[in-house]
Amino acid sequence: MNSVEGLVNQIQGLSTTASDVLSLQNLLKQADDSLHAESTRLLPFLDQLDPSKHSLGYLYFLEACTAGPVTKEQAGSYVLMIARFITSCIAEQIRLAPDKFITVCKRFKDQVLLLEEPLRGVAPMLTAIRKLQSSSEHLTALHPEFLLLCLLSRCYKAGLSILEEDVFEVDQPRDLFLFCYYGGMISIGKKWFRKALELLHNVVTAPMSTVNAIAVEAFKKYILVSLIHHGQSPTNLPKYASSVAQRNLKNLCQPYIELANSYSNGKIADIETYVEANKDKFESDNNLGLVKQAVSSMYKRNIQRLTQTYLTLSLQDIANRVQLNSPKEAEMHVLQMIKDGEIYATINQKDGMVRFLEDPEQYKTCEMIEHIDSSIQRLMTLSKKLNGLDELMSCDPLYLLKAGRERQRFDFDDFDNVPQRFNI
Amino acid sequence: MASSSSSGLTFKLHPLVIVNISDHYTRVKSQLSLPPSLTSTSSAATSNNNNNNSNGGENNQNPPPRVYGCVIGVQRGRTVEIFNSFELIYDPSTRSLDRSFLEKKQELYKKVFPHFYVLGWYSTGSDAHESDMHFHKALMDINESPLYVLLNPAINPAQKDLPVTIYESELHVIDGVPQLIFVRSSYTIETVEAERISVDHVAHLKPSGGSAATQLAAQLTGIHSAIKMLNSRIGVLHQYLVGMQKGDIPCESSLLRQVSSLLRRLPAIESEKFQDDFLMEYNDTLLITYLAMFTNCSSTMNELVDKFNTTYDRHSRRGGRTAFI
Repeated sequence: MNSVEGLVNQIQGLSTTASDVLSLQNLLKQADDSLHAESTRLLPFLDQLDPSKHSLGYLYFLEACTAGPVTKEQAGSYVLMIARFITSCIAEQIRLAPDKFITVCKRFKDQVLLLEEPLRGVAPMLTAIRKLQSSSEHLTALHPEFLLLCLLSRCYKAGLSILEEDVFEVDQPRDLFLFCYYGGMISIGKKWFRKALELLHNVVTAPMSTVNAIAVEAFKKYILVSLIHHGQSPTNLPKYASSVAQRNLKNLCQPYIELANSYSNGKIADIETYVEANKDKFESDNNLGLVKQAVSSMYKRNIQRLTQTYLTLSLQDIANRVQLNSPKEAEMHVLQMIKDGEIYATINQKDGMVRFLEDPEQYKTCEMIEHIDSSIQRLMTLSKKLNGLDELMSCDPLYLLKAGRERQRFDFDDFDNVPQRFNI
Repeated sequence: MASSSSSGLTFKLHPLVIVNISDHYTRVKSQLSLPPSLTSTSSAATSNNNNNNSNGGENNQNPPPRVYGCVIGVQRGRTVEIFNSFELIYDPSTRSLDRSFLEKKQELYKKVFPHFYVLGWYSTGSDAHESDMHFHKALMDINESPLYVLLNPAINPAQKDLPVTIYESELHVIDGVPQLIFVRSSYTIETVEAERISVDHVAHLKPSGGSAATQLAAQLTGIHSAIKMLNSRIGVLHQYLVGMQKGDIPCESSLLRQVSSLLRRLPAIESEKFQDDFLMEYNDTLLITYLAMFTNCSSTMNELVDKFNTTYDRHSRRGGRTAFI
């Protein structure tokens, strides 16, 4: 007890200047085990500490407090405490002990889920991320937790700000996988299919030494979203996908590949029978809703194909060609597509004719200039980063070893009787 | 032989003449450097042909060939303006001038340019020679006082002015014998708008074989520095006006009037159609820049991905051993 009290006094004394805080950190590290030993009796001491001033000390105490198993009643009070702590703590102090902070926040998330109120955790978690990040391009371990809370509470908009940022630094690969996967799911929920495609693409093509479950699930969703958005399935993974992924992912997602194949044939009846046949498989993956969306997007795809052949078409004809039941349905579909901006057309209701138009963008406006200009600026910063990465890579000893080794094999003296390896 | 002329005539030379002479010289010179089998159709001054090697490698024979031709133009009062030139066939060893050719050319030019007269002749070389006097005298029956335009084809990077000299002939008494000698005269370059454009074009082709990239870069750098200077000047004016507004600098109405007139000069056109076209062209340029940036980025990305794959891919796509071809 005495050591704990002494610790409290020291925390109160040494939390003002930066150098003091560093020495405090050393003290706390040494005292960590003793704190954990006394975890059940630490609660009253927490009241003596002020989280907005003694953040580091408070963090250590909090972490030790919540270390043990937590009941539902305790969870309520802990949630309040941690939320208050997160909002009022000082970012520099907690960045000195990032692992402890992450553990505390993860426990916070668990407790919030225990109480079945994920919505309470969304805002504090967002603040926690902002305080932990060293820059907006940094992906911490808290990002996927935050997105998970957003998903469970269906509060998709909150996740938007996090998803908009470009990520350049990652702490752990698992964070990236989970982050992109959850992000993809949130985007699907909000029907931002382009963003979802981008995020899921990241999961599928991320470097991995063995296939992991996250990538497999992401690949299934990736196929479906790509059907909805592009109207065609991803045929081959690009060359920057790891070879492990390229070889194994397709085998593990067989029903989805077949779905994509029947989609490309363009017959709605076939695809519907296929979906019915494999309903349980899709349902067990929680993908049935997405599959249904993919099927309904087929109509859109067919209508879009019509714009390439015809200038005007009657609603009855559209209904026939796209295998819809009535011209009324066709009109509804076309209207929806015009509203979403997927096609440019005008419907003449008097004689039921649809005229397909060209993209009205003339590229003459000042807004377009600003838009292109900002894109160019973004591209320039990206290009600089890429050049930096490229240089780093060229100096990597592992790369030089491999590159040097390869060049030797092209020696023409070796050509005699030994079979050669060729880099195709 | 060269002292300053005292005839009091002012000479104006057009760049077309200089370009013509240099073109003539370059053509003849490059034709001569071909292997003998291909120079069967080459023209005057072929005495250097037998110096060619069989593999045609030797380009510079000494001495370089001399070309000859006529200059034509207008003389108004004391001003002589040389507009154009054409080539002549002249063999200095036999001193034979193809008169019929000269007359035919004169007639042709008379039809197109009725005001132009034969003013003199040109040649290439480093200095005027004694032998040139013969040609000079031969032309005296067409023009009583012909000019001699001499172009020095040697490229001297240190030299600042044009290697072109104009000589007149004067009767001087040397050792009691009246002789015609060449005297140097000064001249100015006069250009017509069309000539200015073509000379500009020629000037921007760097002698090092400037590729399109360096040309474009040079042009853009020029524009960039011009705009930068304009910007700094406007900045100076702006500061001045701000100071005047604050009261630090005494107000000067004449300067203010000048500034306001400057500001009223632009925009020159203000119409709907102009805006449209201008914005469209601006957008197009931006799109092209965007495309260029994209290509740049994609290629860097591609290289990066290749490097990454070579380094970290344990089961690389090099595959197993292939059969020996």
